[in-house]
Formats: sequence, structure tokens, C-alpha cells
Amino acid sequence: MLALEHVTKLYGSVIGVNDVTVELGAGAHGLLGPNGAGKTTFLGLVTGQLRPTLGTVRVFGEQPFGNPRVLRRIGYCPAADLLDRTVTPRAWVRYLVRLAGFSTAAATARADHALEQVGLTAAARRPLATLSKGMRQRAKLAGAIAHDPDLVVLDEPFNGLDPVARHDLVALVRGWATARSLIVASHLLHEVESLDAGLAVILGGRLVASGGAAEIRGLVDALPGEVTIRCAEPRQFAELAFRIGGVEGVRIEGDAVIVATHRPVAFVEEAAVRALDEGLHLGEVVPADRSLEGIFGQLVRLHRGVRA
Amino acid sequence: MSREHAGLPAAVWTVAMFQLARLVTWPRLAMAAVGAVFPAGVMLAAGRAARGGFPSDVSVALLYALIPEAVCMLGLLVTMCPAVADELERGTWAHVATRPRGRRALLLGTWLAAVIWTGTVAIAALGLALCVADVERPAAVAAMFVALILLSCIGRAALFALPAVVLPKRALVASVGVALVVEYLAGTIPAVVNQATVSLRLRSLLVDWMAWKRKLPTEMQLFIDPQPAWLHVLAVAVLTAVLLAVAVFILERRQFPPSDEV
Repeated sequence: MLALEHVTKLYGSVIGVNDVTVELGAGAHGLLGPNGAGKTTFLGLVTGQLRPTLGTVRVFGEQPFGNPRVLRRIGYCPAADLLDRTVTPRAWVRYLVRLAGFSTAAATARADHALEQVGLTAAARRPLATLSKGMRQRAKLAGAIAHDPDLVVLDEPFNGLDPVARHDLVALVRGWATARSLIVASHLLHEVESLDAGLAVILGGRLVASGGAAEIRGLVDALPGEVTIRCAEPRQFAELAFRIGGVEGVRIEGDAVIVATHRPVAFVEEAAVRALDEGLHLGEVVPADRSLEGIFGQLVRLHRGVRA
Repeated sequence: MSREHAGLPAAVWTVAMFQLARLVTWPRLAMAAVGAVFPAGVMLAAGRAARGGFPSDVSVALLYALIPEAVCMLGLLVTMCPAVADELERGTWAHVATRPRGRRALLLGTWLAAVIWTGTVAIAALGLALCVADVERPAAVAAMFVALILLSCIGRAALFALPAVVLPKRALVASVGVALVVEYLAGTIPAVVNQATVSLRLRSLLVDWMAWKRKLPTEMQLFIDPQPAWLHVLAVAVLTAVLLAVAVFILERRQFPPSDEV
């Protein structure tokens, strides 16, 4: 469906994406990365808004930039909020469908159908200014699917939604994935996981990992977690850490000892007892960073071949 | 509900109607009302100041300065200049740019909407101004001004399309600069450079249609082109087509980083 080969996108001296090579077949795909990782640039390249500085982008076998044949088959929902406050969702979606090449009558019917799909029929004739963020998000999603594209590209589609709206939209998007190809960019792992999609992890403009959700989870679980312990006697504690075993690496930063280990909880329990026995004075214990940022950081280190 | 692959004209018309619907807001309508009323107000005030009114030719010259020049220029500045900047600010650029021929339709549709909106305001201004102005053969003068208004809107909207695509976020300032430098400076230089301006064509048409050529002092004849009227109309059409083609060419190649959008 789409292939990027050694694609780099520069904005002046700023790197958007850096030497990305990836091939995605038909089906659902999640693009995962923290804010500023290059997800929107990646999607901009795929949806024909941006041209690569280096490398080639192919979507449905053709380069997408300014290519009506490719653009006709794509439905894009950008991350930016819809701030055209005077327009109604119905008028907006109908406008987009008309621009996709449909007659007025067909565009009206398709707009109504898409708004019904996203549950916005009741509010379809209200100005966007009077709608909640979630409703505007639904209007954007309706605009992306109303012309029945082969590939739907959604950039942070669940941003700013309350949990109920998020749950509803995840179910809706998961339904779409059965009928058409889908790329969803998000900075939340669980959102993408819930779509049963293949995952590509992007960070600092680089694609650092790709595979199924289980593979990415396995990759993450295989990485050592870092535990930070503040101690009045950091050198003695570092020796103690090595004696405990199961430790991948230790480094000392001031009064902090940072220990990389595959079993951080067990390590902390044992280290606390043995440090007390040996008369070491522990201060703060900061557990392994299993937040998404931490996981991304570890994936990058893995990508670069750094063990811990 | 089959896809019809409606052509570019349908997409341009769609954009024009959508842009016109966007323009129907109270602030925009108030601005349009001011634009429609102020030439009549100026004519009234000037007539009173002159105590007894003007000769018909002076009224026509004043109407020309107020309507095809001032009203059209100001109207086009506020409707054409934000063609791309508004889309970026409203978060709608990416939606339109990812539609087949969306960029081209956006520019041409906005141009058409600017011509329709500004042309309507200017024609309303003409109607009101003619009610208070003392001109001979008002129907013929009205018909001439409708033609001048249309040519002014068509050509100058195309002229402002260039700053709109080259410098979207500074389009208004750039367009004012273009208006001053191209239309009012280059347009009055009696050399080859003024052939590519709308203002020379409009002035020459006014002089031709009002049969003023013999009345003009020799030095004033430097500021008009004595070619036949059809050639001036053709020149505006060609200039418009070239400017729009260049603007479309640029816009279809423009890339806006995600940070440019809201």
C-alpha cells in the first residue's frame, strides 16, 4: 500500500523525518511516538502535503505529492482543531466531498451518511463554534471517510476527548479498519494497541521499531529498566548492586546510583535490606521509567545498539 | 452515489460558494455596507463643498477614483489576500490540500468569490453614488462603470493572488506594497512597464469610453494608452490568466510544515 525508501524531510536545518525506510501493506497500522517525534511529517509525506527532501515515497504505487489519482483514494483527518467556527459540520463535510469529485446530490447524501456514522446527525446543522471539542473531532473524522477512501489517515484522532467519547471513537475507528486500510498516529500506546494495528515507533524523526503490538511489548519488556537510588555512599552502593546480581549496568551521577536491571522490583527490595544491613544511608528510590517517554528512550538506545 | 470525477470548474464553483458563505458574517456585512455607502457620502460632501455641484466629467472622474480604484482595491485586499493564510489559521489547509486538485480549486475559487463579493459591493456603491452624483447620460455611465468594476476586480484579485501564495502570513502588507508599487507607481510610468498593469488599462478605457482624449492636455496623454478598447480588455484578460497560472503553479508546489498550521 505504501512504501518509504530512505526518506528524509528537512525544514531548513530542522529534521522532520530522518532516513525512514518502511513498507506498510493493506490493513491497520499505528504510528507511535511522543510529541515532536515526526509523526505529522510522516503523515504529511504519505498524504501528499509534503515532498521528501531525500528518498522516495510511494502510495498505491505512485508518488502522492500533488497526485490527484492518489489523493482521491486517501481520507485525511489532521490533528489541528477545526477552527472554522461559522460553518456547520454538514456544510463542511459536504464541501470536502464535493472537492473529492462528487456531485452536489451525492455529496449531500455521503455527508449525511458519514455524520450518522460518527454519531453527529443531531448536531449536523449547528455551527462548529457551538460544538464541543469531541463533536468537532467527529466532524473531522466524518470529513475523512465520507468520500469512501481506500486509505484513512488519522493524526491524533483521540486528542482532547473525554474517556467516553474516546471509547466510542476507538470502537468506530476499529470498525473502519475492517473495511479499509488505516494509519493512526498517536502518542498513546494503549490507544493504538486497542485498534489491533501493526505498530511503527517513530522518535526524533527516525523509525526506531516496527512490528505487531505484542512484538513491541516484548521488545520493551526485554529492555532493562533503570532504577535511580540516592545514597550518601554512592560508591559503596554501586559495589553492593553488582553483588546482588541480575544487574546490566551501573552508573554514578553525584549522589545518585542508576542501576539497569531486568527485575527492578526484586532488585529494589533486596538492595534496601542489604543496604540497611551494611549501614548505607539510602535517600530516594525512583522506580524504572516505564512511561511511554521512557520506553521510547529505551527503544532509541536499543536502535542505536546501546545496551543500557 | 457514484463518483463523478467532477472537473475543476465544479470544484472552483464549490470553493467560491463556500467562501462566499464564510463571508456572510455581521462584521463582513458591515464592512461591505460601509464600502457601498462611502462613495455616495464623498460625492455628497464634495458636491456641497463645491456649492452648486461639479461638471459631469468631474463627477465621472471622482466616481472612477472612488469605485473601480478605492472600493475595488480595498474589497479585494480583504477578500483575496487571506486565501491561504485563513486556511492555515482555521486548520482547514490540510483538509483541502489533500483533496484531488484541492489547492488549485482553493485559489481559483477564492479568486472567484473575491470578484463576486467585491464586484457586488462596488456595483451597489455605484448605484448609490449615481443617485447623488450629477452626471450626463447616467445609464451609459453606469454601464461603463460596471465594465470597469468587473475588469478591476478580475485583474486585481489575480494580482493579489501572488502575495497570497508567496507570503501567506504577510499577504495583506505585501499586497498593499504590490498595489502601490505595481498599480500606482509602475502603472503611471509612461514606458513598457505600465503595459502590464490593470490601472493603465482602466484609465485608458475610461478616457476612450468617455471620449475625453481630445480634452486631455498633451502631458496627461502620457498616462493613457490610445489603443482600441477591445485590446485593453484582452490585455486585462491575458494578465489575469498569467497571474493566476503563476499563483496556481506556486501554490501547488508550496509545502507548509506542521507548525504553520494551528
